[in-house]
Amino acid sequence: MTIMLAQSDAWAGVDVTRHLFLFSPMLTLICTMLAVVACPIIVGRSAKTIGTVAVLGIIASFILALRVAGEVASGGASGLSTQPGEGLLLVDNLSIAFQLILLVFMGGVTWLWWMGSSDSEENAPEFFILLIGSAVGMALMVSTSNLLMIALAIETASLPSYAMVGFDKRDRRGAEASLKYLIFGAISAAIMLYGISLLYGLSGSLSVAGVAHYCIQSLASGHDLVITLVALMCVLAGIGFKVSAVPFHFWCPDAFEGAKVEVTTWLSVASKAAALILLARLVMVFCAGIAAPEAIGILSPLAWGIGIMAAITCTVGNFAAYVQTSAKRLLAYSSIAHAGYMLMAVAIFVHPHSADSQGGISALLTYIAIYMFMNLGAFGVVAMIVWDTGNDNLSSFTGLLRRAPMLAIPMIICLVSLVGLPPFAGFIGKWWILIALGQLGSTLGWFLVIVAVFNTLISLYYYMRIVVKMALREDGQPVVAFPLGGMALVNFCAVALLVMFVFAQPLKTTSDRFTRNIFHATVEETAVVDASATQPIENVQR
Amino acid sequence: MNILTLIVFLPAIGALLCLVAPKPLIRSIAVLASLVTFLLSLTLFGIYFGSETGGSSTEVFGSTYGTLHHVTRLPWITGESITIEYFLGIDGLGFPLLILTTLVSFLACLASWNMEQWKINKGIRAYFILFLLLETGMLGVFVSLDFFLFYIFWEVMLLPMYFLIGVWGGERREYAAIKFFLFTLAGSVLMLVALIAMYFYSGDAIAQAGGEIVSGYRTDVTLTHGTFDLIELATNDTIQSYFASPATQFLSMKFAPLMFMFLFIGFAIKLPIVPFHTWLPDAHVQAPTPVSMILAGVLLKMGGYGFLRLCYPIFPTGAEYWAYALAVIGVVSIIYGALCAMAQSDFKRLVAYSSVSHMGFVLLGIAVMTEAGFQGAMFQMIAHGISSPMCFFLVGVIYDRAHHREINRFGGLWMTMPKYGTMATIGFFASLGLPGLCGFIGEIWVLLGTFDAGSKYPWAYPLAIISAASVILTAGYILWLVRRVYLGKEKEEYANYSDVSGREIFILVPFAILALALGIFPMQTVFDFTNGTLDLVLAHVTNAISVTR
Repeated sequence: MTIMLAQSDAWAGVDVTRHLFLFSPMLTLICTMLAVVACPIIVGRSAKTIGTVAVLGIIASFILALRVAGEVASGGASGLSTQPGEGLLLVDNLSIAFQLILLVFMGGVTWLWWMGSSDSEENAPEFFILLIGSAVGMALMVSTSNLLMIALAIETASLPSYAMVGFDKRDRRGAEASLKYLIFGAISAAIMLYGISLLYGLSGSLSVAGVAHYCIQSLASGHDLVITLVALMCVLAGIGFKVSAVPFHFWCPDAFEGAKVEVTTWLSVASKAAALILLARLVMVFCAGIAAPEAIGILSPLAWGIGIMAAITCTVGNFAAYVQTSAKRLLAYSSIAHAGYMLMAVAIFVHPHSADSQGGISALLTYIAIYMFMNLGAFGVVAMIVWDTGNDNLSSFTGLLRRAPMLAIPMIICLVSLVGLPPFAGFIGKWWILIALGQLGSTLGWFLVIVAVFNTLISLYYYMRIVVKMALREDGQPVVAFPLGGMALVNFCAVALLVMFVFAQPLKTTSDRFTRNIFHATVEETAVVDASATQPIENVQR
Repeated sequence: MNILTLIVFLPAIGALLCLVAPKPLIRSIAVLASLVTFLLSLTLFGIYFGSETGGSSTEVFGSTYGTLHHVTRLPWITGESITIEYFLGIDGLGFPLLILTTLVSFLACLASWNMEQWKINKGIRAYFILFLLLETGMLGVFVSLDFFLFYIFWEVMLLPMYFLIGVWGGERREYAAIKFFLFTLAGSVLMLVALIAMYFYSGDAIAQAGGEIVSGYRTDVTLTHGTFDLIELATNDTIQSYFASPATQFLSMKFAPLMFMFLFIGFAIKLPIVPFHTWLPDAHVQAPTPVSMILAGVLLKMGGYGFLRLCYPIFPTGAEYWAYALAVIGVVSIIYGALCAMAQSDFKRLVAYSSVSHMGFVLLGIAVMTEAGFQGAMFQMIAHGISSPMCFFLVGVIYDRAHHREINRFGGLWMTMPKYGTMATIGFFASLGLPGLCGFIGEIWVLLGTFDAGSKYPWAYPLAIISAASVILTAGYILWLVRRVYLGKEKEEYANYSDVSGREIFILVPFAILALALGIFPMQTVFDFTNGTLDLVLAHVTNAISVTR
């Protein structure tokens, strides 16, 4: 498999093996997929064997990603580029940080799968092909700012997800959910592709920086940008679908409810986080490209547009969660609300040159890392309830504190952390986003701060509904039987949430480190946006 | 190790021990942990008696606001332009409330010894763990001087309190617990907005002044970016004048009055004052007795403490802007709380509403911004922190025996339970404000302070007269209560009730002694420890107001 890293003449003299190294985490995942395919032919379809192969692949990929991260941090890889015609893929601190989070999370989901399904699963190879395939798609989503590659990456992430949602083919609800997801996904993909084709037709470029360049030129020559804006909206719709931003969120509760819990867990964090980072990158690259005085007329509406979308997303998600009786559905709406909080940070990137953006992207990364633990813990408990009682209705949680204290206590911690209350890490995640918004100092920033804190208040009630059922009520249901490994996983998440609160400093330092260099690159690159000469890859950093 | 850190986290360590201890030992560990915390907090008296010239010297309080003792400052979270410190310290505002907290917690812990739920083996371990975590949260609020840290401790209290009411409470505990949670969180999200806004606006002030200014109270420190330091925010002239300037706007509204209001609502919900008080009767009635004691004795004081620590020193112009409104709300609370108390037939609900009325005095005293007003408000908080836990415990004692709280079904209890009757008289008369008991000093000081304010605020006279007259309402509901419950003919259904046990007496006597001591020696018990700092806060506030005028 060849990945076109760059247009050949612009990057002449580039060391290909080095680039292969930079992309090795993704390549390892692809190889793992192949291994999972080959495994049934060689050693049989045992779920545990397949699972082991997958876990080994994930670990290998993680180790490589760590090494690449070291390389990237020392300035040895490509940063963000705003050059028209730059490479299709790029590896920078942001993309590698996301890949690390993604791999850890995939490990957690696999662990959950192992606890719940490895004994009964007959189609383990297929499951892992889909899981790893979507992971590759998500890793690609965060590693590009090329429109064609974006479309490709989103499809690579989406297609396996559709199949995963309907994975249990005897389950009618899963099939229905899968179909809904597919239809929604197909429509938004079509809209996005239409937008991309418009942009390409207008600007003659597939890179976002090229589109920005075109915008500047037409602004300077007095053309209006209506069609360009429509096309940009179309692209935004495609990404909004993955983020599950309102009004593109309707698939989310249905798909989450119908899918197996492991799959729901996976989609709730991974696909949204990937789409958010992609969106953040697009906004940054686009706005870095048009940061000319005459472009203020575009930037301000863009910031407000994203900000209001974020505000509506978290408010709608929180209010809709009130009436839910299924735990998975409730958490689905909760994930919409959290997507809204994270989307708020994206509104900051409209001014990519200011120091605010660094705080924003660092906050986004921190939030995703914390959110991963919160959702893994909460869905992990839901999974174990589903395995034991056969349904995820909230009434199955009644009296859980007595029936299984070792599940109820981590569940309470995860839920309180999802509300965003100290002393758990959920508060820290929210805190950095609020700080980044406050740093803007604009009306938009303070408006979003107020929306966010009031959404915390709104969300308290429905999260506490589960807590009330678990801790305050009692209806004599039998003790819950659960796998020890699953119990260990959710308790680990709960402890991690406490630890990440107390040691908020290392978390902040790490995510600062992973986001610092991006902006040096952006600022430098924009300065030479009109120059035709391309820079060798080593110089882009710093 | 810093003594304040030790005091704050000792209960949490006790909670950890409770987690692993064998079941029969849990109660002893919890009581021991809270006792040791109390004894340790008593060593803080050293800061007063260590000085040669006595309690009110400048050695203890300094000559400007910001003299602290037992300070510990460690960086907790730092970024390029952000510094969140683990900053503990104590002065005349936090000190009396800290002692009150450790005392009430210890006695409430003791009061939890024989709860009915233990007989059916319901969660004794979880109860004491949560209780001790709650104590850590409360202590943290009174000693943390970094706004972020303050906020964390403020929020940390919520969850244990929610469960203490929700799991071990009465019939409608679920409703009461979530109501308490929602109300308090509503206040604290506003506080969070203020927290972030104050940080960035203080940063703006510094940037405007050239990017580097000398700290307001630590001459060897320069500030280059925004701060969460509560003392700094109040004492730094650059920040203060930027906050107070009408040109400083937040979402097109004047900064100081708006932020004052955000913080005020957060604290007012906790205090609580009308119209944010409705969570209080529910929470009190449903909570188990020891939790009611904590709620009334300590949690309500956080509202008043918040006014004195945050609202007034940091936004004096906001205080001036809202003074009339706040004083009126205070008087409304006094009267409305008293009238509601009079209408109750539930013993505990009556005591709960009396808290609303008493806290109205705190707000009134602070709102008028006079020396006597501030001092009286602080005294009222301490006095109420002694009398109301005592009253709640008295209610609990009789509820344990009778299993109902209908005032009209009681009668003649003094005859059956003479010791209990005596204690009850002291407790309720202290709450009434009988001269010679603790409730009197606070009320009279606030009233004097309100009259005093008449020279600068003409509206203060009518308010003082109205609130002075309202004391008759307090006397009305308390005397009526005492008559219905304790006096009259002995009733047959209560004839065989045992008098208070040794443990109960042990809890009641300290409260009774303190109620008397505060009433007879107000200077030596409270004023000497608080007035120095209070006067400095007041001087700072009035000075800032006169400057902007």
